[in-house]
Amino acid sequence: MHELKIAEELSAMVSHHAAEAGLRIVERVNISVGQFVQIVPDLLEAAFSIAAVESVASAARLEIEIIAAEMRCRRCGTEYRPDDDLHACTACGSTDIDVVHGKELFIKSIEGE
Amino acid sequence: MKDILDRNQNKAEEVRSLLREKKVMMVNIISSPGAGKTTLLERTCEAMADKTRIGVIEGDVATDRDARRLQKYNIPIVCINTGGGCHLDSHSISKVLGHFDLDQTDLLFVENVGNLICPSQFDLGETFKLAVVSTAEGDDKPAKYPMLFTGARAVILNKTDLIPYTNFNVAAFESDIVSLNPGITIIKTSATGGEGTDRWIGWLTSQLESFRAG
Repeated sequence: MHELKIAEELSAMVSHHAAEAGLRIVERVNISVGQFVQIVPDLLEAAFSIAAVESVASAARLEIEIIAAEMRCRRCGTEYRPDDDLHACTACGSTDIDVVHGKELFIKSIEGE
Repeated sequence: MKDILDRNQNKAEEVRSLLREKKVMMVNIISSPGAGKTTLLERTCEAMADKTRIGVIEGDVATDRDARRLQKYNIPIVCINTGGGCHLDSHSISKVLGHFDLDQTDLLFVENVGNLICPSQFDLGETFKLAVVSTAEGDDKPAKYPMLFTGARAVILNKTDLIPYTNFNVAAFESDIVSLNPGITIIKTSATGGEGTDRWIGWLTSQLESFRAG
């Protein structure tokens, strides 16, 4: 249940940025989560609603965008979406690969007034 | 755009640079409960504690049982009870580093909370992550928990003595790991009986030498 720790960090950051931007109430928090980041969205939403109690974001909705994994082969340069349990290059089979997308975990925007 | 685990990452970098300055190699050991992390540490202390200055941070949900098992080696041990928490983070590591004399330490092990998911998400400032898998868990663990295996420098396949009593397929296990992380080192051991631990000690010693040289 590392979602709770992530929710606590998120709540602290939201409060910090809301104060900087002069927001009294945060209505919506938009975050992006890569496919390889092992988070259960429902659990993160529930954890955030607990972590944000008594903060400016206590009634905020958490919108989670999942970013699909994308790899780049270091041998042939192909960019591709990997299969679930096989990450090797779909063109040449090489396992010498970079993860271009899939490890993201960030706040995109905060909405409020 | 702001990284949600920024605070953890910043503290991890602080820990990493302190340990680099003090020439302390930190190994973050991650496995399921019962894979054999503590037994592996026992064998490691037996083989290395006379010439290498070892320290251990024990992360456990409750009790100091693992820490007590290592007391016989007369090494500094700090126990972090997470009280239900499923992983350690860089702040918890940073807080306990003061209990070690880092000028008198070569190698610091962190025995993370037994769990294949949560600990792999949090950088502790380690030099590298070590994954430990026991054969009784099944050969599908790399495919099912890819984050740990893509992030680890080495994986120990432990309890190889039990293979005859399981349907564990070593070739499938190895090929899944290599497809996730081609540069990873795979070492097979039976820590309880001691088989293969000499290869682990040899590999670890070479990592320590290159860390200290770099």
